Parts: sequence; C-alpha cells; structure tokens
Amino acid sequence: MRVALVEPRETDAADLGGRVGRAEALAAVRGECDWLDCPAPGALADRVGVVAPDGTVRVRTALAVAARSRGLAAPQDDEVRRLRARLDDLDAERVDTAPLRERVAETGADVDRLRERVARLQGRVRALREGDGDPSDAETELSRALADLTERETTGVAARQALDHARDRRRDHRDAREERRRLDDRLANLERAARRHLVERVAPEFRAAVTSLDGTDAHDDAFDAPPVTTALALYRVGDPDAPVVLDCERFADARAAADWLGTPVLRL
Amino acid sequence: MLLVVAYSRAARTSLRNVHRSHEESVVRRFGRVALFEFTELGAFLALRLRAKHPGDVGVERVEPFNEFETVPEAVREAASAYEDREQASLPYTAFADANGYPDPESMVGEEL
Repeated sequence: MRVALVEPRETDAADLGGRVGRAEALAAVRGECDWLDCPAPGALADRVGVVAPDGTVRVRTALAVAARSRGLAAPQDDEVRRLRARLDDLDAERVDTAPLRERVAETGADVDRLRERVARLQGRVRALREGDGDPSDAETELSRALADLTERETTGVAARQALDHARDRRRDHRDAREERRRLDDRLANLERAARRHLVERVAPEFRAAVTSLDGTDAHDDAFDAPPVTTALALYRVGDPDAPVVLDCERFADARAAADWLGTPVLRL
Repeated sequence: MLLVVAYSRAARTSLRNVHRSHEESVVRRFGRVALFEFTELGAFLALRLRAKHPGDVGVERVEPFNEFETVPEAVREAASAYEDREQASLPYTAFADANGYPDPESMVGEEL
C-alpha cells in the first residue's frame, strides 16, 4: 500500500500515531481518502472490521469467510450455486383475484334481477293478449329486457372464465412459493454444512493463532477469546485484501503486527 | 375440490404416498390435510384412502370462496376496516360499537 500522510511512501506497516481516527482510517481503506492507496476490502474485512477491544464478531461465520478468503472451497458449493440459480428462476407473478370475484358477483346479481324482470314482463304480455289490452308497449319492454339479459349473461360467462383463469395462475404462484420455501430450507442447510466444513479445515490454525497471542491455557475455548485476539487470529488465518486497521495496544508497533499477520497494517 | 383429512398416523402416511405418486391430482398438501382435484381420479384416490383407513379419513367437498357473492357488504367492510384500524389494541366489539359495524353476537347466528 502507499501511504502519504506525512510524506508519500510504499510500506506494509504504517503507524499513524493518532493522526487519524478510526472512522477516517476505515474510509481511507475503502479508497475514500487521497492519502492512502491500497486494495479494496474484501468479505473478511467487511465481517471482522477494525481490530479493537470493542469489536464484535460471530467467530465461526467469520472463520468460514477467512477460509474462503484464502481460496478454500466447500464440497457443497456447486449445489448451493445450482439452487440459487433455480431460486432466481422461480418468480411466478402474484395474482389478486378479488376484482374478478367482485365482477362475477355483480354480473350474477344482474342476471338474477333481469331474469325476474323478463318473467314478470312475459306474464304481463300474456295477460294483455288474453284480455283486451294492447300488449305492444309491454312487448317492446320485454324484448329490451331479453336483450339486456343476453348481454349480461355473456358478460357473466366471460367474468367466470377470467376468474377461473386467474385462479389457475394463482395456483401456479402458490406452487412456486412452496417450491421456493423448500429450496430456501435446503439452501440454508447446505450453507450451514459448507460453513462447518470450512471452519473445521482452518480451526487448528485458528487455535494455534489464539495460543500464539495469549499463550496456552489462556482460554477454555479458543472460540471464546476476547475481541482483539479473535480478530487478529481471524486475519492471520485468512487473507484480507485490504490493510488491517489496528485500534489496540496488542503490538508494540505496526511492523510487529504486519509481520505476525502476514498482511499490511495501519495502526492508529 | 375435495378436502381430505387424515386422522391417524397410518392414514397420514398413505396421504403422503398418494401425494407423491399422484401429484397431478393433489392440488396442495399441508401435513395431514390435502386438497384433491374435483375429478374422478381425485374422488377415486380419496375413496381408496377412506376404504383403507375406515373412520380415519375425512372427505369434504369444498369450493372457492367468493365473498362478493355470499357475504353481506357490512360484514366485508367490517373485516377490512377493523384490520385497517389505527389502534392495534382496540377489541373488535368496541370497534364495531363505535363505528356501526355488526357485532359478533349478531353475526354468529346468521348463516351465509
């Protein structure tokens, strides 16, 4: 990396001597300050962050990321990629059938109403013909009602078909959601298994790194070590792309830290 | 559709097997309950389950629900208005009383 805080120089161990705070150092590592030129942070730096006593990190998850940063893979990776691709293809549209249900109900009610009207008018026309009244007005009304009825019946059939069709599509959508839920579960299981595999691969190195920092028997379980020890061990096991930012007193200077970590260091 | 419910462990296993071997006739399955297609094959499968596990398989005929055809407007509106209420802790009875929606006692005896 190239540091130009006082005078520009190429180094893998920079003591910043309190000239910049934690936030600025992190911004600089991300490439947001002109005094630092270095590779961009990768997944490991995103997960572990600054090495500091107040750090919080989920050790096993981070250790799996550290293993990956070194190029290690898990036997589940191919299957995980395949499932992800299938999940991406599973995008059935959501279907709202409520407006169609409403239309079916409305046209159904119209048809019932018109049928009654037609029956009433038929009765009236018959009565007028049998009596001595003039049925012509009632006949006109009847034929208009019959035309209305036919039209509403046609509309009703179309509405019913549209609703049936939408219900089929909604069923497809629910099938897709069920499939998605199954794939999600399977994917989560595979990812857990992959993480376990990666953690097992590098756990001995991680324990050794914790021991080398805090001595033997310092912790019952290396995975319960304090934040600074944990973060340093993770960075040592992994291969961070960007310089590691140290905000702690663990090493006498940046040189010692960079040598132990095997990676460029910015010490605040 | 046919709603098929398994009331014993053995019936549930059979229901699961039917689902596996006749996916096209099973619309959906939730554990020990399944919806079969309203077809001769759907009925055949339901009846076979009933014959195999006498007394342990319930079969109901169900159809899609259209609230606009069967439910009074006041009841429909009460449901959506209550789910839209501003005060989450307000019980329905008080809500219905304040806004003129039907109360549970009047709805309970009204068949659709």
